[in-house]
Amino acid sequence: MRSIFLLTTVALVFFASCQKEGDDAGTIMPVAVVTVRNLPADTIIGLSQIGQPFGAGKYTFYSLERNELVSSSDSATRRWDIGFRGTTIITNSGNSGPGAGGAYVQVGLFEELTKVSSDSVFRVDSAPAAYAIPAGSNRAWFVYNPQANLVTPIPGRVLVIRTANGKFAKVEVLNYYKGGQTPAVSATDDDKIRKQRFYTFRFAFQPNGTTTF
Amino acid sequence: MDARPVVILLLWYPHLLWAAGRSVEDTLPAKGLDEVIVTATRTERRMGSLSVPVTLVSREVIRRSGSLRLGDILSEQTGLAVVQGFGRGIQVQGLSPEYTLILMDGEPLIGRMAGVLDLSRITVTNIRKIEIVKGPSSSLYGSEALGGVINIITDGAAASRIGADLRYGRFNTSDASAEWSGRSGRFRLTSFLNHHASEGYSLLPNALQKTVEPYRRATGQVQLGYLPSSRVSLRMGIRATDDRIQQSILVQNLGAQLLSRGMETNRDLNLTPTLTWKPQERLTATLRGYHSRFASEQRLEVTDRGTAYADRFHQTFSRLEAQADLRTGDHAKSTLGLGMVQETVRSNRYDSLQILRSARNDYFFLQHDWQPDDRSTLTIGLRFDHNSLYTPVWSPKLSLHRRLGDRWRLQASVGRGFKAPDFRQLYLNYTNLAAGGYMVFGTQVAASEMRRLKEGGQIAQVLPTFDQLTTLRPETSTGINAGTQFAAAKSFTWKLNAFRNEIGNLIMTDIIAFRTGGGQVFSYLNVKSAFTQGIESDVEWSGFTGLRLSLGYQLLQTADKSVMRDIRAGKVFARDPATGLSQRLDRRDYAGLPGRSRHMANLKAFWESTDGKWNVNIRMLYRSRWGSSDRDGNGIINRPDEFAKGYLQVNASAGLTWKQGISLQGGIDNLTNYRDPLNLPGLPGINPFITLSWTWGQAFKSTITKNQKP
Repeated sequence: MRSIFLLTTVALVFFASCQKEGDDAGTIMPVAVVTVRNLPADTIIGLSQIGQPFGAGKYTFYSLERNELVSSSDSATRRWDIGFRGTTIITNSGNSGPGAGGAYVQVGLFEELTKVSSDSVFRVDSAPAAYAIPAGSNRAWFVYNPQANLVTPIPGRVLVIRTANGKFAKVEVLNYYKGGQTPAVSATDDDKIRKQRFYTFRFAFQPNGTTTF
Repeated sequence: MDARPVVILLLWYPHLLWAAGRSVEDTLPAKGLDEVIVTATRTERRMGSLSVPVTLVSREVIRRSGSLRLGDILSEQTGLAVVQGFGRGIQVQGLSPEYTLILMDGEPLIGRMAGVLDLSRITVTNIRKIEIVKGPSSSLYGSEALGGVINIITDGAAASRIGADLRYGRFNTSDASAEWSGRSGRFRLTSFLNHHASEGYSLLPNALQKTVEPYRRATGQVQLGYLPSSRVSLRMGIRATDDRIQQSILVQNLGAQLLSRGMETNRDLNLTPTLTWKPQERLTATLRGYHSRFASEQRLEVTDRGTAYADRFHQTFSRLEAQADLRTGDHAKSTLGLGMVQETVRSNRYDSLQILRSARNDYFFLQHDWQPDDRSTLTIGLRFDHNSLYTPVWSPKLSLHRRLGDRWRLQASVGRGFKAPDFRQLYLNYTNLAAGGYMVFGTQVAASEMRRLKEGGQIAQVLPTFDQLTTLRPETSTGINAGTQFAAAKSFTWKLNAFRNEIGNLIMTDIIAFRTGGGQVFSYLNVKSAFTQGIESDVEWSGFTGLRLSLGYQLLQTADKSVMRDIRAGKVFARDPATGLSQRLDRRDYAGLPGRSRHMANLKAFWESTDGKWNVNIRMLYRSRWGSSDRDGNGIINRPDEFAKGYLQVNASAGLTWKQGISLQGGIDNLTNYRDPLNLPGLPGINPFITLSWTWGQAFKSTITKNQKP
């Protein structure tokens, strides 16, 4: 599945690309860090009676394993790992999908998270009451400022994802607005609404099934 | 000085004054330090003999500056910042507006919104002086006196006179006042009327919604005095205000416009009966009653949908207080006070207008003044508050004043301040349907409301904070102030003060549960602690004939202690604006509490011709940048784009007074036309005005260069 919205970039170089499998135990396998820009996540299509903006209510599904968008017709398969709708991020787990997915939120820097700690507890989705990545402001990855009417990703929040196939990835949301730029506080509400629900995030996926990045 | 005004003053504020006979010698030559202050000790004391930092603003300075509302004149004082949000509030020693007590003639004004008493509600046209005491004073005044106490003292009639002021300025801003005071035998009467109106202004190009909407505010005040004998006085004060502020809120979404129009109405009524009895030279007894009612109503109608929104808030505050001042020797004096307060609130923010919430507070306070030698004064104070809604509070204070030679004085004080949990924190029951359906419950209603939600299957997750909800404790502070005063000849004074306030038990909203669908449920917890510290300096110089210069400066540092802890533990992160990536926050990047300027300064020059006919003044006010709002999601101020720009405001005015009691004052506020719509919505740009005044009878003498402190 391709999308004109989607531009993927390989951001980090394969710093240890000469390393081979079977090297000494403990060496960190090279994983690429990929930045995904302008991923639409149920963008606004209208206003409710009380002036509340709403979208079509559909998730945008993404495969971290293959670094690509997944059609919503595949929502009941293991082809996707995470899905985005507004500020809600689902995993292919629990009642969200048939996969072996899950997630937890780690406080820290993306670069410093080099290994999923062995005592980590991956949660699974139990929508709408509880998601593996908790929904709501100041809870998992974002904070909503009602005065400024802006959603901002909290710095130092890493979403540790178990993919649909039980492999591991780490995700950091960088921005929630089109073009990766949060509008100014003084921007019009109109502007803030039109530009919201476009994710910029970076991720690293470990294809070999280990817990190191 | 004519003795008569002093006698009258005594009769208006008798409980404060019998202390004047005490032997606090004040030989400092500078007249500014001779000014009489009542707020610091609840007894009359000369400024130079006080052990706490005090600022005095005189009537003359208020009039010369062309100030209309309380916020105008307070913003020109050293160390005070007027901050916007729920009206105009005042920040003292870096503490938020809810932590400064505002008194009118010694009685607290009510009607705070989210803790802020809107300074625009108070006209300054009939104010005789404003006393500002910094640092905690809960040992005398109880709740809210953490950052300081601001006491607005209105005109006690010094003589029979009639006066009127008429002012007109930009944005069709008009202000009209009339005063009348008279005396006949044993009776005294002062009355005052003020009407203030403006059509508001827009700082942003938006035809439908103004930055400040049109408003009008009316104030009426009557003070009656009856003196049946030389030992007894009876006084009654009545004050009423009526404010109407137009409102329009425009939301523009995807081309659709939602315009709500409405009106905010605030009404305030204060009654202050006072009986003073002086059975003998050593003893003065005062019985004070105070009843205040505040009613606020906000109505909004969405023009094309017809959805009405109405918010009503009614508050009453009734107090009965007895105070005795006793001289127990030539070098000691005691004050004892007892009182009770009944407070009620009705609001549709808490359940319904039918439910009356009330609180009862009983208290006593003691203050003992002792002079171990003729150079030192030691003051010990203690107050106990017992409230029906929260845990009892003891508020002690100890202060020391010492003269060093003829020119230097040292002063030091340490005291505790507290702020009682307010009705909002106890009873609020609020659901916001628009912004994600969040709810806020006061601690007294949280448990029952949560039970109701749980039974309805609306709660997804209960957080540990819910189990931590208890009876709220008062927010507390410990404040230390230490400084010196220096005076040389008649022309120079310098005051220096260092302060630190340790604030604990701060009440914050915190998430207690999540609703199904992610909506948050909030309540209030005593969780945070913070500090503010700084240095304040005031220099005054009366140079050439009729000229008085002053320079004020405050250095301020603040921090949230839990943020400091988290930064030290490496748990606070920031987002680099260039790369968009997270990085660990450097401690030096943490700018402390939002809304605080590191540097504030003012430079003022007042000049008056020797015949008193002409006067000119210029006042320059500087505020360095302050934290405006978090932009990178970590909840603190750390990035350059999270600050409001520092700015310089220049105000100037000039006046001419004729012998017939007519005077003309013209001025320009904000000469440089500085504007910042987002961070300074209350600053309308360049603002010229002209005032015509007329006084018949004994006018207030021009005192600006004689013995008043500008």
